[in-house]
Amino acid sequence: MGVIVTAIAVLAALCGGAGLTSGLERLFVRPVWEPGPVHAADLRHPLDLPNADRWLLPAGPVVAFAGTALAMIVVPLGSGLIGRDLGIGAFYVIVVIDFVVLGLALAGWGANVPNTVEACYRIIAQLVAYVVPLGLAYVGVIMMARSLSTVAIVEAQRGLWFIVLQPLGFLLYLVTGLMQSYRAPFLEPFAVSIRGGVLGASGGWSALLWRIALAGVLFLVAAIGAVLYLGGPNGPVLPGWFWMTLKTYALMALMLGLGRLVRPLSTAEMLALSWKILTPVGLLNVLLVGGLILLGVRP
Amino acid sequence: MTAAFEILAFAVSGFVAIAGALGMTTTMSMFRSGIFLMASFIGVAGLFILLAADLIGLLQIMMYIGGMLVMILFMVLVMHDPGGAMMAGMDMAPIERWFSAGLEPRKPRQGGHGDHGDHAVQHTDDDGHGSHEGHGGMDMSMVTPVRPAAAWLAIVVGTVLIGMLIWRPAWPVVGTLPDPDSAARVGHLLMEKYMIAFEGAGFLILIGIFGAVLLARPSTYPDDPSRSAKVAVDRKPEAIADDRIAPLAGRDRDHRAGDDGL
Repeated sequence: MGVIVTAIAVLAALCGGAGLTSGLERLFVRPVWEPGPVHAADLRHPLDLPNADRWLLPAGPVVAFAGTALAMIVVPLGSGLIGRDLGIGAFYVIVVIDFVVLGLALAGWGANVPNTVEACYRIIAQLVAYVVPLGLAYVGVIMMARSLSTVAIVEAQRGLWFIVLQPLGFLLYLVTGLMQSYRAPFLEPFAVSIRGGVLGASGGWSALLWRIALAGVLFLVAAIGAVLYLGGPNGPVLPGWFWMTLKTYALMALMLGLGRLVRPLSTAEMLALSWKILTPVGLLNVLLVGGLILLGVRP
Repeated sequence: MTAAFEILAFAVSGFVAIAGALGMTTTMSMFRSGIFLMASFIGVAGLFILLAADLIGLLQIMMYIGGMLVMILFMVLVMHDPGGAMMAGMDMAPIERWFSAGLEPRKPRQGGHGDHGDHAVQHTDDDGHGSHEGHGGMDMSMVTPVRPAAAWLAIVVGTVLIGMLIWRPAWPVVGTLPDPDSAARVGHLLMEKYMIAFEGAGFLILIGIFGAVLLARPSTYPDDPSRSAKVAVDRKPEAIADDRIAPLAGRDRDHRAGDDGL
């Protein structure tokens, strides 16, 4: 029975986090800005797409939601407040969030409408853009923590947060995290010009699931960022869950705010940014962290 | 309880692996085919995880989600009928009909466009009047007489493999679980014992990336016919106004359409 209780708790945490996330995101939406993944979708009326693929279109939001729910399992929300402390937790998160991309691609193709098929292409190109630098942003932390487990990474930062030792890695994580969650400068798959992409072709329960999954991705990116670079639930006096929530939403606000300072990039510009700047920066970060470890610097 | 979960997980993973493989070979839509293949590999990854090889399982999922999605993009780019709209109109075996359920059969467009343009029909033809009738040069080369032979070959190989499993005299059974921290073990093996092979593979991939960049770079000798762009250009291009692709609004195509997308 423990498994079922844990599953319900993880789902509740995901839904709560996603709800708070969409509340916070409202603050960063102006009418003149591209809304991106908070693009309007009709939650009340199911949408009837006559040419839609009856298997792939409904599979999309379910797969994406399952991906976020699976990733939520390894996020430590406090001491002992974790679904399951997997030995390869950080790698598991990277892998499982890919299901969101898969879901968006399935629904984009399955809706069988030009706008969503275009969104499907863009989402796959965006996956290619962010996946390598994102992995490099994790690698520096994993090298210093000497473990892939999220709990061990938090434990390793008892003395000093990794943001102090690896500022370059943190900046890299900010950029790639925005790319992974399709927020401000990287919202090409949800652009207004293709009418919100997949969101524009969803309605009823699928729109609701997309809302949760897309807010959940941002929540997960911020929470994992807090775990990797800000010490997770560590903090004085107040309980762990309070610190974790505070750090997660502070990081999220920072990311959303910084993202709005830049004009939205097209998918081609994202790929160029990734290969020409982010990947070399990530390799440099790995080199610097390796040097620090050899010099005996540890938190 | 745990045993019941394990059996359930094994059943689900095995079903996904087998049904995915079957769907991959029998569906008419190439997009679905790629997704089914991905599902099959994810099912196998589930089996890996059940065997306590979680690192291999997750690596498999990561590789195949990214890899298959990119492969599907290339398939859509170059294939004749990636959505299966034309193939769906043919006679199908029951299993093919099952895995192709929901595909809207479309007739290929007559005149104007050659084969290279037909793949656009499937997902842009959303206004519903498929008025162009007739089998204008439909290429049925995907349905080959080789397929039954291939199916029989697969059945024979499968039978032989299962027979070998059953009649193998004794299975070595180890009582202990494998090392749960397999990531560290694999890392040490890659960086110590198999370092030459690992670094060599990395070097080869780097050379491959260099080659790709070299090939994709704009030509130094644009007059060289071997380096001209390999695209089919119509002698007499069709007028855009006759094109039934609904326009995409955007920065570069700035006629924001009213309600054409849905």
